[in-house]
Order: sequence, then C-alpha cells, then structure tokens
Amino acid sequence: MLFSRGQLPPPAAAPRIECTNSTGRRLAAADTTVDGAVVRAVLAGDIERYAELVGRYRDRYARYAARMLGSPDAAEDAVQDAFVRAYDQLRQCREPDNFAGWFFLILRNRCFAEGRRDARRGTAVDLDAQPIAGRGSERPDAIMEAGEQRRELQLALQQLTAEQREVFVLKHVEGLSYEEITVRIGGSVAALKMRMHRAYDRLRELLRDRI
Amino acid sequence: MTEFHPLVKRLLDGEATLADLPPELREQGAAALRLLGAIDRTPVTLDPALDARVMAAIGQRGRTGQSPASRRALRWLSEPRELRLRVRPWVLGVGLAAAAGLVAALVGPRAPQAPGPTVPESAFVSFVLYAPGATQVALAGTFNHWDQAATPLRRAAAGDVWTVTLALPAGEHQYAFVVDHRRWVTDPAAPAVDDGFGRRNSVIAVGGPGGHRL
Repeated sequence: MLFSRGQLPPPAAAPRIECTNSTGRRLAAADTTVDGAVVRAVLAGDIERYAELVGRYRDRYARYAARMLGSPDAAEDAVQDAFVRAYDQLRQCREPDNFAGWFFLILRNRCFAEGRRDARRGTAVDLDAQPIAGRGSERPDAIMEAGEQRRELQLALQQLTAEQREVFVLKHVEGLSYEEITVRIGGSVAALKMRMHRAYDRLRELLRDRI
Repeated sequence: MTEFHPLVKRLLDGEATLADLPPELREQGAAALRLLGAIDRTPVTLDPALDARVMAAIGQRGRTGQSPASRRALRWLSEPRELRLRVRPWVLGVGLAAAAGLVAALVGPRAPQAPGPTVPESAFVSFVLYAPGATQVALAGTFNHWDQAATPLRRAAAGDVWTVTLALPAGEHQYAFVVDHRRWVTDPAAPAVDDGFGRRNSVIAVGGPGGHRL
C-alpha cells in the first residue's frame, strides 16, 4: 500500500472540543486522558465502566439537545439513544481521549435526524416543558412577559432550518464563539456567519410583531 | 423589510455595541438585543434514571463492536420460531426417497480427501505510506484501539517512505495513518469507508487473498 501521489491530503477536521457545563462556564479539558482510559477499558470488556462516561456527559449536552429538538423530553431520548449508539460504535472512536467531542457528533447527528422526522410528522414544540425562571425583583407581569417572549422565541427557533438553529444555539445559548463552533462542527467562520445572519433575518420575520 | 441591517447583525454577533450604531439604527439595534434577551439559557437536567436505562440497553448488547445487523442476525438464528408446512402426500413420498438417498451418501464409504485450504487465523500485513516532510508516522486502528502511540512506522532508508509490518488476526480491520501526531491520513492503496461522523477510515480484510500464513 504505497502512497504514490506525492502529497498528503489536507488535514482532516479533528474536532477538539472545549466543553461547557450546563451553566455555560468553560470546563477544563482535564477529563480527556481519563476518558481515553475508560474507553480502552470498555473495549477490553469492562462494560460497566461505560457508566462513568454516561455520568460524566449526560447533562453536558442536554441543553443543546433540548433547544435543538424543542423539549427536554425529546432531548432525553436523544441523549439516551446517542449513548447507546456510541457504545455500539466505540471501536470506531479514533481518539478515545476526545470521547466528548466524538459523542457530541453522534448526538448532533441524532438531533438532525430527529428534526428531519419531526418535519415530516409535524411534531409540535413542547413550550410548557421549561419552567419560567422567575426573578424575585421583577413584577409578576414582567415575569409573564419574559416567559411569553421566551416561548415565542423558542417556537420561532423551531421554524429555522436545523443548521441555522444549531449555530444560533451554539453561539447564543451555549456561548461559543464562531471559532469555537468551527472546531466543534467544522466549516468556516464566514460560512457560519452567513448561516447565522440568515437566522437573524428569519427570526425577525417570524417575530415581526415583537421586534 | 424584514432583514436586519448589517451593522445590527454585527451588534447581535457581539462585534459592535449599541453606541457604535448610527442614531437611525439604534431603535432596530435595541429591538434586536431584546431578541437575545429572550433566549432561554436555563440548564436542562435529565432524568437520573437515564444512566441505568443506558447501561441496561448496552447490557443486552454484549461487548461493543457487534453491529446492529450482526446482532439482528444472531437473534434471528437463536430465537425459537414456529414453522407451518402444508405437504401434498406424493411430495412427501418423493421427499422421503431423497432423504434416504442423502443419508446413504453421507454414511457410505468415502475416499480419503486431501485437506482443503483453510482461512488463516492471522497474517502478516505491511503498511506503507509515502509522506514527504513527515517527522513521525503512526498507525491507529481497530486492532490497537486507535492508540496513536502503539504502532509507530519506521522511516525507510529511501527517506520519505514509512513502513510497519503487523500480524493481524483474521477479519476486517479499520485504520488510518497519523502523521506528526495530528493529521489523519487514509491509506490511498486501500478501500475506505465513512466512519459515520464525516471522516474516512481505510479497511483491510485479513484472511482474503494477499496475506500469507504464519
């Protein structure tokens, strides 16, 4: 097997994820070598150790999945399925130390596939699934107003394309920069900005009575 | 007009402030910021029982690496099932005669046979990559759990050719070269498959033509 074309192909996109936790704070990439050891142990037959990975990452991407799919229940199904699928394909995990980034891509695929199914079925968005986070200093009518705006925005988000919704969620919900998003899902900053700007325009159209 | 002004989009991207906008755009900018203010960043916590459900699901699957298709095939072969046959009497007679002939053929005297070719349990496989300018090349694949440190290639005397020879068990293996610890390169001399996540792995089947027995 001789590489006879004289040049190496361009570098493959190898997502190296800097994860955030559920409150949006950056998490140090300190778990990676531990992840690699756990993945290798599971591949060697110590199946029970897979629970460590489930416990470590189950909530980390839950908000992403919930905003992509429109409800925490759908997110829970997606995260569960993604963990089972990741287990099935664990031998394909080329960088066990980067299990988190690899798992995110599996969950992302699952969310996109679910979105396509929902588009065919016309699934409704579960707008009441998330409680309105009341703030003590606000008047009740202000809280109601904030909750209503939140619901309307979430409904509008579900009417974006999955690609537009994803870049919006990663930037404005998860708080990633465009550069961090390219590391996570590939593509260029310019392409992501164009996608995002189309999402802004679409949201303005959908919420024109509000903004 | 439903599009935001480009400067307002820069505001939404966090690349400008409201004060950077010209006065005629500030109202639109303020409305756009209200849009971002309505974003729900509430953390989502999943059901604590999810961990147990995942572990129960994978416990039913056995060791990782079995494809869903192979699991379905095994299940199909192992599960009892009911078969219903409707047989015409004359067909039954012909069938019994054929079965008797088959039994006679199986238990009758047979000439000794030379041993036929068997599939080797493992084979030597040489991996070669021409990688000009590389300072380090390794082989990672399903046979070494994708460990980039496990199988370094040696640079041949010619300079840019890197090689390694491994004894691989029979079966299908996926792999890729890792150049200078960071660039994943498929083997241009081998077929490749999509790994399901936008990247390609090379594939080699040990036990087919091309290898030699240990």
